[in-house]
Amino acid sequence: MQVKVLSAKFDIPDANTLEVAKKHGAYATLDKIFAMQPEEVTEIVKESGLRGRGGAGFPTGLKWTFLPKDTDKPVYLAVNSDESEPATFKDRYILVRDPHLLIEGIIICCYAIRSHAAYIYIRGEYTSQVKVLQAAIDEAYAAGYLGESVAGFDFQLDVTVHRGAGAYICGEETALLESVEGKKGQPRSKPPFPAVEGLYGCPTIINNVQSISSLPFILANGAAAYKAYGTEKSAGTHLFGISGLVKKPGMYELPFGLPILDVLEQVAGGLRDNRTLKGIIPGGSSTPVLTAEEAKTVTLDYESMAAHGTMFGSGGIVVLDDTVDIVKLVENLIHFYHHESCGQCTPCREGLGWMLKIVQKILNYEGTMADIDLLLELCDNIEMKTVCVLSAACTMSTRSYLNKFRSEFEAYIAHSASKHATM
Amino acid sequence: MAEKVKLFVNGQEVEVESGKNLIDAIGAIGIEIPHLCYHPALGADGNCRLCLVGIEDGRPPLVPACKTRVAEGMKVQLDTGKIKKIQQDIMEFELINHPIDCPVCDQAGECKLQDYYMRYDAQPSRMTVKQVLKSKKLDFGCGVVHDQERCVLCARCVRFTRLITKTGELGIVNRTDYARVEIFPGRPLNNRYALNVVDLCPVGAMTSQDFRFKQRVWFLTKSPSICHGCSKGCNIFIDHNREKYKDDIIYRFRPRHNEKVNGYFMCDDGRMTYKLENDNRLLGAMIDKRETGFNEAVEAVRRELSQAAKTVILVSPNASLEQMYALQQFAGTINAQVSGFSDGYIKNGDGDDFLIQDDKSANRATFHLLGIDDTRAGFDTAVAGADLLLSFDNDLSLSLPQTDLDQLLGQVKLITVGSRQNDFVTKASIKLPVASFSEDSGSIINCDGRLQRYDAAVIKNEPMPSMIAAINMLGGGIVSHQEAREGLQANVPKLKDIDLDQVPGDGIALTENEVAHVAA
Repeated sequence: MQVKVLSAKFDIPDANTLEVAKKHGAYATLDKIFAMQPEEVTEIVKESGLRGRGGAGFPTGLKWTFLPKDTDKPVYLAVNSDESEPATFKDRYILVRDPHLLIEGIIICCYAIRSHAAYIYIRGEYTSQVKVLQAAIDEAYAAGYLGESVAGFDFQLDVTVHRGAGAYICGEETALLESVEGKKGQPRSKPPFPAVEGLYGCPTIINNVQSISSLPFILANGAAAYKAYGTEKSAGTHLFGISGLVKKPGMYELPFGLPILDVLEQVAGGLRDNRTLKGIIPGGSSTPVLTAEEAKTVTLDYESMAAHGTMFGSGGIVVLDDTVDIVKLVENLIHFYHHESCGQCTPCREGLGWMLKIVQKILNYEGTMADIDLLLELCDNIEMKTVCVLSAACTMSTRSYLNKFRSEFEAYIAHSASKHATM
Repeated sequence: MAEKVKLFVNGQEVEVESGKNLIDAIGAIGIEIPHLCYHPALGADGNCRLCLVGIEDGRPPLVPACKTRVAEGMKVQLDTGKIKKIQQDIMEFELINHPIDCPVCDQAGECKLQDYYMRYDAQPSRMTVKQVLKSKKLDFGCGVVHDQERCVLCARCVRFTRLITKTGELGIVNRTDYARVEIFPGRPLNNRYALNVVDLCPVGAMTSQDFRFKQRVWFLTKSPSICHGCSKGCNIFIDHNREKYKDDIIYRFRPRHNEKVNGYFMCDDGRMTYKLENDNRLLGAMIDKRETGFNEAVEAVRRELSQAAKTVILVSPNASLEQMYALQQFAGTINAQVSGFSDGYIKNGDGDDFLIQDDKSANRATFHLLGIDDTRAGFDTAVAGADLLLSFDNDLSLSLPQTDLDQLLGQVKLITVGSRQNDFVTKASIKLPVASFSEDSGSIINCDGRLQRYDAAVIKNEPMPSMIAAINMLGGGIVSHQEAREGLQANVPKLKDIDLDQVPGDGIALTENEVAHVAA
């Protein structure tokens, strides 16, 4: 099932060094792209069907075309490497095992969008990863792949690594821009969208590490070669991070469209200790959970996930077996989103804390049946009333657990009722 | 006139000013969109989410009204169940961690949370879990006291220090419901406009050390007036109250919006000048340090006037247009010289490029309009050989060096007509008390040539006569403000086309008017 498109060099020792990477084809696309017009590059990316790998799945090439046509301002590329969504651990493999793939992708993207400055916003906790990445960038500069004249062509490009300070919200693209600008990482209201008014008020494209790293393959082999993988609307491959209670958790590159349960069995080795499946979080903690029943018909692509009322997300699959306490899981989940709320918008700032305390109340056997309904109502009251979708990430997933595993919450409450009755 | 656009609010066609956001444009025709973080002087931030409205034109289902400009044909929904529910929900979120300590909160009565709760929420609390606790009564400096628990994190105060004063003392630290407004450690508010954050705060999080716990705001009468603290003439509200068995006391000045003068703000120094209206007032007539009746003192002054060989009238640069005119007329009748010498009212270099002016007097511009000389040389010429100096609220000790003052007071007899006590007034042989500006009406012209009108705000239990009445009793001839205004209009060419009885709320630009007059 596994394929090697993005991860082609992952298992090659020292592929993070320029010497090894080059031996295995790094920077080979540059001659080709610089012979093209930037618009032609964009066209190929559009044709490839590549969708944003940050979680939202927006078509990458189409995003680039939102840049204003005639602007006298500089255009920036911001590479989102904040990878902070719980259960998501794909980009770090690229950063560490094949950073030159990312740099090559950055060159391709910047050429296509006519940008001469790219910022890589890297998650603050990625302390060892940033060292590898920076070393690769330094090597690329020294070898002339970055700087005044990229690979000898008449194209200047500077790449700057900007380290985050450990806030999940800085992975939201406009909060990321604020953070790069040195401000408190709080999402901006849109419009204006970053493509029009982004970093330092200039047109900016923000792409995920994996999206950018997919470009060298597409440009080297053509859109058709990339589209050969995956489904019609979910072209190509994806780095899936499979975690949870499986025998072989890990990062696996797979084409889109595989049945999730097959992947679970054949790639991740199946459930531990022959337990039974309770549910699957399909794409990072913010995506609504799938029950074991729903999982039977789900395939790993954008369409199937949407059809099942959830989202493809970041490809971070979490497998839950029958030992998982859903109420505790939800408490953990809300705790995370509450902690990471930037505190800007009232519903998110105040509401997530309230939700957390209600779940904790239920866990403490002090809940009532009305609390479940209150939680569900709060999900509605918070969702989509805010500048960004952090709160929605929490409420959409929380709602899915409340609806699909309501009996587990009720069990806690029933227990608390009996506990109070005996007192 | 601004351009108008037609749009629909709740299905009703309305006409509003173009170029504005929904809150301002629709608010101007009396339809309220609730909001906490938006303030016209600070722009839209969009964090409170209370102004979310629906627009029926294929936009996202909800938009913040503060960030949405009006457009022709726009269909705005405010009264749908969905929008009302959102307003109620946001209010619920604002209040779950709020201490609801209205009985001891100074903001009670002028609190947006209270108002909006009554208008948009009015639901019992569903909060059954522990509230977030934060710090209270923090001294933020400049007389600003902060309560983090009452704060709704609208960031108006933060934006004020960043955008208006550009001093940036305030910031929001931490995330989520631990977020709170803070100063940097050891770096309190340090700007001359800091108390505006108290006005800007829509809730009781920012209170004024000076005002807190003094009065419940619903007892205060809020009278419009003009600050006399400097020549800017910031528009203010005089908040005053007469408690049972007590006199009418002023508790605070607050800025009153006038885009042409001070916008929404005023300086802290000006704000504190309310104390001058309450304290150190001259409350009774005196002859040679002996308290006496007002009429008796007036008679004494008249006697002195008739006996004096040469009288000089010293006018205060704080006197109103009407008062100055009455004094000029009076000077004519008694053949006295008039001087407005008041250099001491000017503090060179004290002003800034925002509101604060070097000239700490309110109406020097009128000296120039009426041809009253305010130079030292003019004053010296006037007092040469004089034996009587009649000062109308001008504190000469500010302008004359002590030795010069002593020498002058050795030469002339000093009579003062004024509203307050000071060292200079103490030296007078006869003192006549008159009403201060908060108890009187008048017109003043600010540093930018804008003529503004104020009316009496405070009526004391034992009101002092107005300065114009006092001047008339001394033999001036101008009976009332009305008569003074008629005289001004007839005799001062620059005021010819101005209806001094109908000065608009935001004043009249004299310079512009002059230009228009010349062109015609």
